[in-house]
Amino acid sequence: MADTDTYDGPILEIDKLSISFFTRLREIPAVMDFSCTVRPGEAMGLVGESGCGKSTVALGVMQDLGVNGRIVGGSIKFKGRDLSQMSQEELRDIRGSEIAMIYQEPMASLNPAMRIGKQLMEVPMIHFGTSEKEAYERALEVVTDVKLPDPKRILNSFPHQLSGGQQQRIVIAMALMSKPSLLILDEPTTALDVTVEAAVVELVKDLGKKYGTSMLFISHNLGLVLETCDRICVMYSGETVETGRISDVFDKMQHPYTQALFRSIPLPGADKNSRPLVAIPGNFPLPHERPNGCNFGPRCDYFEAGRCDQGVIPMADVARGDRHETRCLRYAEIDWGAPIDVGKQTEKPEPGDVVLKMDNLKKYYEVAASALFGGANKKVVKANETLSFEARESETLAIVGESGCGKSTFAKVLMGLETATDGKILLHNSEIQDVPIESRDTKTIANVQMVFQNPFDTLNPSMTVGRQIIRALEIFGVGETENDRENRMLELLDLVKLPREFAGRMPRQLSGGQKQRVGIARAFAGDAKIVVADEPVSALDVSVQAAVTDLLMEIQRKNKTTLLFISHDLSIVRYLSDRVMVMYLGHVVELGSTDQVFQPPYHPYTEALLSAVPIADTSIEKEHIVLEGDIPSAMNPPSGCPFQTRCRWKDQVPGGLCEKEVPAVRHMADGHQVKCHLSDDIFAKMTPVIKIAAE
Amino acid sequence: MDPLTWTGSVGIVLNPIFFVVVGLFAVMLVIQFVLSFTAPPPSITVNPDGSAMSSGGTIDLVGRINSYLFLGLLGILATYMFSGIFTPYGTGGIIGEIGVRLLPVWIALIITFALSMAFKRKLGLYGKLFDSVVGMIGFAIVMFWVFVAIFVAFDLVITHDPLSQVSGMKNKVPGTPLRGAEDGEYAHYLLGGDNLARDVFSRVMQGSQIVLIIAPAATLFAFMVGIVLGLPAGFYGGMFDTVLSFIANLVLAFPVILLFFLLVTPEIRAAGIDFGFYMWRVPTILASILFIFPLIFLVLLWNSRYFTQPSKNMLFIGLTVVIGGYLYLALAWDADPFGLISIDQNVLIVFVAVVFVNSPTVFRIVRGLVLDIKTRDYVAAGQTRGEGAWYIMLWEILPNARGPLIVDFCLRIGYTTILLGTLGFFGLGLESESPDWGTTINAGRRLLGIYPHPAIAPALSLMTLVLGLNLLADGLREESLKD
Ligand SMILES: Nc1ncnc2c1ncn2[C@@H]1O[C@H](COP(=O)(O)OP(=O)(O)OP(=O)(O)O)[C@@H](O)[C@H]1O
Ligand code: SF4
Ligand code: SF4
Ligand SMILES: [Mg+2]
Repeated sequence: MADTDTYDGPILEIDKLSISFFTRLREIPAVMDFSCTVRPGEAMGLVGESGCGKSTVALGVMQDLGVNGRIVGGSIKFKGRDLSQMSQEELRDIRGSEIAMIYQEPMASLNPAMRIGKQLMEVPMIHFGTSEKEAYERALEVVTDVKLPDPKRILNSFPHQLSGGQQQRIVIAMALMSKPSLLILDEPTTALDVTVEAAVVELVKDLGKKYGTSMLFISHNLGLVLETCDRICVMYSGETVETGRISDVFDKMQHPYTQALFRSIPLPGADKNSRPLVAIPGNFPLPHERPNGCNFGPRCDYFEAGRCDQGVIPMADVARGDRHETRCLRYAEIDWGAPIDVGKQTEKPEPGDVVLKMDNLKKYYEVAASALFGGANKKVVKANETLSFEARESETLAIVGESGCGKSTFAKVLMGLETATDGKILLHNSEIQDVPIESRDTKTIANVQMVFQNPFDTLNPSMTVGRQIIRALEIFGVGETENDRENRMLELLDLVKLPREFAGRMPRQLSGGQKQRVGIARAFAGDAKIVVADEPVSALDVSVQAAVTDLLMEIQRKNKTTLLFISHDLSIVRYLSDRVMVMYLGHVVELGSTDQVFQPPYHPYTEALLSAVPIADTSIEKEHIVLEGDIPSAMNPPSGCPFQTRCRWKDQVPGGLCEKEVPAVRHMADGHQVKCHLSDDIFAKMTPVIKIAAE
Repeated sequence: MDPLTWTGSVGIVLNPIFFVVVGLFAVMLVIQFVLSFTAPPPSITVNPDGSAMSSGGTIDLVGRINSYLFLGLLGILATYMFSGIFTPYGTGGIIGEIGVRLLPVWIALIITFALSMAFKRKLGLYGKLFDSVVGMIGFAIVMFWVFVAIFVAFDLVITHDPLSQVSGMKNKVPGTPLRGAEDGEYAHYLLGGDNLARDVFSRVMQGSQIVLIIAPAATLFAFMVGIVLGLPAGFYGGMFDTVLSFIANLVLAFPVILLFFLLVTPEIRAAGIDFGFYMWRVPTILASILFIFPLIFLVLLWNSRYFTQPSKNMLFIGLTVVIGGYLYLALAWDADPFGLISIDQNVLIVFVAVVFVNSPTVFRIVRGLVLDIKTRDYVAAGQTRGEGAWYIMLWEILPNARGPLIVDFCLRIGYTTILLGTLGFFGLGLESESPDWGTTINAGRRLLGIYPHPAIAPALSLMTLVLGLNLLADGLREESLKD
């Protein structure tokens, strides 16, 4: 390994890499003509939509493409040596010790039956023949480095005894055990909650600096890449379309796709009424259905027939900027500074009467403390604790919180899948908290409907799209005859802007965004008055998110629907909601209009949440608030204030009150309430977390 | 008439070649086996034009030779089989003449395969089956027996009445000519005669009918029971699930053969509940309980879906109750009001017993699948729109569990076939003269040392059918996992 230790050229050079998968139907060119260079200590971000080939590039670097994947062109050089020329042994050696990869799902990289310590120690013992004692020291050191509390205890535990965030830290620690020169991270935080994600990202950044490791950071989230990387590579449909320094690509972009991408994500300043998002029209082309010429052509605003649809479009160097390249023929002609063509503006609808009122709603679950001998030992999980709020007609109320905060429980109680333990739900003045769904009348059921999170799960895979909508119509008693319902179904497809032919299609023939549209059509089949949207766009690609969000709001305006929008993504919440409710461990910790919640005074948790959300805007300055630890389990909540284990303001409250008493609801301003012990003058001193830097 | 040899006139030329090819093939297989441990793995190189090339040296070569030899072997076998079609009767040998008798089966198979291959992309999972060699072989074998069973019903394939005895043909070897055959009568016992001087070939072919009716039907009934009980057990959980799972385990823990012996002993069969005016005997008790499940299944199926359209609902449920109820009365209670349908009590007891031992396993499979699928969002969507529990179970969950269930169905038919064979072999159930394979093997067992052919023919048939079903299941499983 002596020759590589003194090497000081680029760590990774990928040149014109093409990778194909061979299936029985056809060859799928997953990556085409991909080039990038990662220098020592540099962090390269790889962004793009699902299926654009990001992971394939990573697997190509690992030389681990499975049985049907092949590198069909180009080369990958690691420290100047071509990986495809290496023998299996050399590759295995490099993979374990010099290139490390971290996947989205931490458990995929951990052995569930082996203690953490042993798994960590194995790495240097196998690759460098280190002694057991040294390996243990090293393990202790990295576990301390990844900021896990009580490293000795952690080394002695099994993976399942740790939370998701802790597991991901262990995976990172494992990758660091051998001091690799290249770390590949494939969506390392997608499975984590926002506040935990922020902490892990912070960690990765610090470690990269400390160890001088180069990184290839794969993500679909532009904000995350901004926070972690020095350079970025934007991919579209198997190709790089633009690459360069973060500041160049974010602020002086030279490719229409990059521009469209930035216009379709809700950055601060976007507003659903005055400055709506601009969705990218059309769909992402499948690998075997790519158009001639420019892949982005059919969706590009600057498309020029006869030029953009011909031949192969090469990467071109942009004169200004540092190694800034773009794959667009017209980049020099486009006026990049032209103001955004503001989409159709709409009047903000006035909220109408109160349609839904929750009054001190409580939902407790009884669970057996030990799985085997339940019996006497019952524990109570307080999934929802004194939830009170009102929602008006045509209003969007966002419910924000991380996993386990009780969002889904609340939705279940509202829908009638569970009955409340205590408190009231008033729907148009009738109490429904104790009426399970079987006893609700059709009208009530049709009035309260739901849009689900996972587009791949929301439709029954063995029934045509049309049939599923018609079924909802049948159940809601819409239409007299089958013909009526058929027509109504087609109208609903029109409503969600899907072609009528889709009625006969099976769900697997639809893209994620299209499925989500069908889910929306189904929810509105009975003219729902209240729609609970449970993270309806979080599983969709950025370019499709805008279109689906738009659609939801358009229908809402038309039908005067009350939208309860459950999300953990504060950017989209800020963009579309009128009021925001922040939940933590079953408690509503803050409730108010969007402006009130996004500006100080904040509840300490809201403040941390705002700081955690990555924002893809270089002009934004954020205060860094990293929460220690993980979200406590609802089975075993902390005493006093639910947030006290992670709160950074706790010591501002005298007398340890936070640990003793659950704070009462405080009314700050008109309609703004916060559940916290902090005194008014401390609230008054809070500064905004997100600041737009002066130009 | 002369006796037939196995391979007839083509054999004179082909037999030496055949043995040489078999020998070569065997030697090459051994070489390939040894090489697979020593030779380096094939290396894959990428050409500049983007295509990939795999070169493996000797091992690759040996592999290729082996596949040619195997194809050659198949070719020779096919020649034996089909040569009889083109040569006059009596010269094709036993294999050739059997090939001739099976002509309709070959034609049907070729048509089925040609059509399926042509439209395979439009046929869903069934079409995908034709991408898997294993699956295709399995399907071909199974369809072979299905077509045999069908054509036997039209009096095609078989050469003699399977039950009638011909004097002088007792225990005669395959290919023996019929003494004093009359005009129009088939002149040979192709696979010889059994100890009652009946034609083994015709009996084996006819036997396929019994196997192919009872085994799938019993499996289907077992599935009905397993589904109707497994769905709610998995969906609701709780006490219902605990009790049912316990019973299922109890049945599974009980030795199957012992259970069968118990069920067919005359004392147990005669036992029952005496109502004074009616004696509710054990077979009827079991049948009346097990046979009600398909009815329940169908009624639930229609009602959960069509309750919003009362007229359609009434029609479907009405038809189900009338037709199903009639069959139920006739089959389970032997009380057909018109006296048209009745089932032999021996067959009934075997049938019921097979259903009984199979349903707990199906129950457990269905329950497990439901536990998985019920967490999907589309199930939640059904619940939030107020669908009934049975709609969700039968229309949202069950169709999406079909993959594993179909695979299990194929495997289970094979298992049931063996079970039926075993029962027949122990002389349980069907009458002793029945041509079904199990009973025939049992009958041939006694003289196995001297005249093996009456037992070997049905044993091979049973083996091929079960093998075919297993290969089919493998192919289906493999293909359903892809894409
Ligand atoms: N093993 C495989 N066989 C066939 N096609 C594959 C295989 N793996 C990936 N593909 C195809 O290659 C293309 C690129 O996939 P890849 O996983 O690299 O995308 P990605 O950008 O990582 O997406 P995501 O954001 O969803 O992780 C896709 O069209 C995908 O369907
Ligand atoms: S090459 Fe043409 S179609 Fe492609 S991005 Fe540039 S302007 Fe658009
Ligand atoms: S009550 Fe105390 S611990 Fe809870 S949020 Fe307020 S300051 Fe923090
Ligand atoms: Mg990926």
